[in-house]
Amino acid sequence: MNVALAILWKDLVTEWRSRDRVVAMAVFSFLVVVVLHFALPARDADEARRLAPGLLWVAYIFAALLGLNRAFALELENEALAGLALAPADRGWVFLGKAAANFVILGAVQAITAAVFALAFDVDLASIAPSLVLVVALGSLGICAVGTLLGAVSVRTRYREVMLPLLLLPLLVPVLLAAVDATAGLLETGTLRWRPIQLLIVTDAIFLIVSFTSFEYVLDE
Amino acid sequence: MSVGASAPPPAIAAQGLAKRFGPVVALAGVDFAVPAGRVLAVLGPNGAGKSTLLRILAGLTRPSAGRVAMGTGAAEAGDRRHGRGRVGYVGHATFLYPNLTARENLVFAGRLYGVADPHARAAALLAEQGLEPIAERTAGSFSRGQAQRLAIARGLVHDPPVVLLDEPFTGLDPTSADRLAARLRSLAGSGRAVVLVTHDLAQAAALGDRALLLVRGRIAFDSGAVRAEAAALETAWREATAA
Repeated sequence: MNVALAILWKDLVTEWRSRDRVVAMAVFSFLVVVVLHFALPARDADEARRLAPGLLWVAYIFAALLGLNRAFALELENEALAGLALAPADRGWVFLGKAAANFVILGAVQAITAAVFALAFDVDLASIAPSLVLVVALGSLGICAVGTLLGAVSVRTRYREVMLPLLLLPLLVPVLLAAVDATAGLLETGTLRWRPIQLLIVTDAIFLIVSFTSFEYVLDE
Repeated sequence: MSVGASAPPPAIAAQGLAKRFGPVVALAGVDFAVPAGRVLAVLGPNGAGKSTLLRILAGLTRPSAGRVAMGTGAAEAGDRRHGRGRVGYVGHATFLYPNLTARENLVFAGRLYGVADPHARAAALLAEQGLEPIAERTAGSFSRGQAQRLAIARGLVHDPPVVLLDEPFTGLDPTSADRLAARLRSLAGSGRAVVLVTHDLAQAAALGDRALLLVRGRIAFDSGAVRAEAAALETAWREATAA
């Protein structure tokens, strides 16, 4: 557990000092929202509400892909990833520390993106904020769990920038379906749908357990 | 160095270590044992398999065949975690984070290794390496020599019984190199087993209680229990690499 906390601290301190990941992700998701805004010019309030859940999660996924790719690129400098692999702890804790840092950084970007999205698409996200935070947190947990595992796998491949989306996006289908469904329910009725939340919890649990247990082998050379 | 039946178990032992990367044979059956308090110098030309050997001993790379034993326990499959905790590894790369200060890098490494008081340990290592005046500077601003000294401190943060060093003198000025040589002798003197990879024959002869010459993944020369002279190493090097 201490290893996970140490890595979380290290990732957040280095990100706070450089801010390269947060800035890149925030700018990128802002641009995605702007592009989507102009790509769908003729719409009314109902149409915006209907499309909003999917569009919001498209922006989140693109931001996450950018951030997850950078998360392990940081560890390539001075071969720091090998330094983590040498820790005499279950390497699952290394995974958990990296995933937790990714979750926090992605969360910060998602908050900024949501504010921009609400303005661009004239959608009231403030009134459903507590429930939306729960849905986004559950969706992000799944994205960060499997994304951290695959980020570690792809970082040592020649085409890592392409490899991560190729490996990650198919696995994220259940998370996206459930997250978009839950967000749509919130925007339509203001209440949480239980079935997509159940699916998110189950998928998150599977991704976390598989990633935690398989990280020992992922860090081997 | 052969270890008799009555001798204590070696601090680290390699038995039949082999490693293949696809068709390339990096190591082809390497055996040796290093007792506590001894320095093993591993020499060899580029591509001989020295760094691969060290990475297997450190637990970073799995061997294709053979096993590594640490003290009384096997670190091959059953307890690789235990093996990683007994080893301090200083590789070609420094493992440092350029955005963290020297002190933060050591405290972070101490936390990874479960050191009881990582702040106190970091302070002691910074003083030992002469890095105290620049302890609050980020590692990214360090010269090659300063970064190397910090990397050595990082490798020793958990006071390991086995120390593996891959070309640790690279980038060090003569004063720092002398200091490191003295530190290696004191590590061995305090009961640590040290495996030192170097290209420098004189350094290997001066520091190593035993010398191994690796050529194309095999042991081409072994000084055994006798400390090798630089001239003998040079002759062995010429013969082995000419073959």
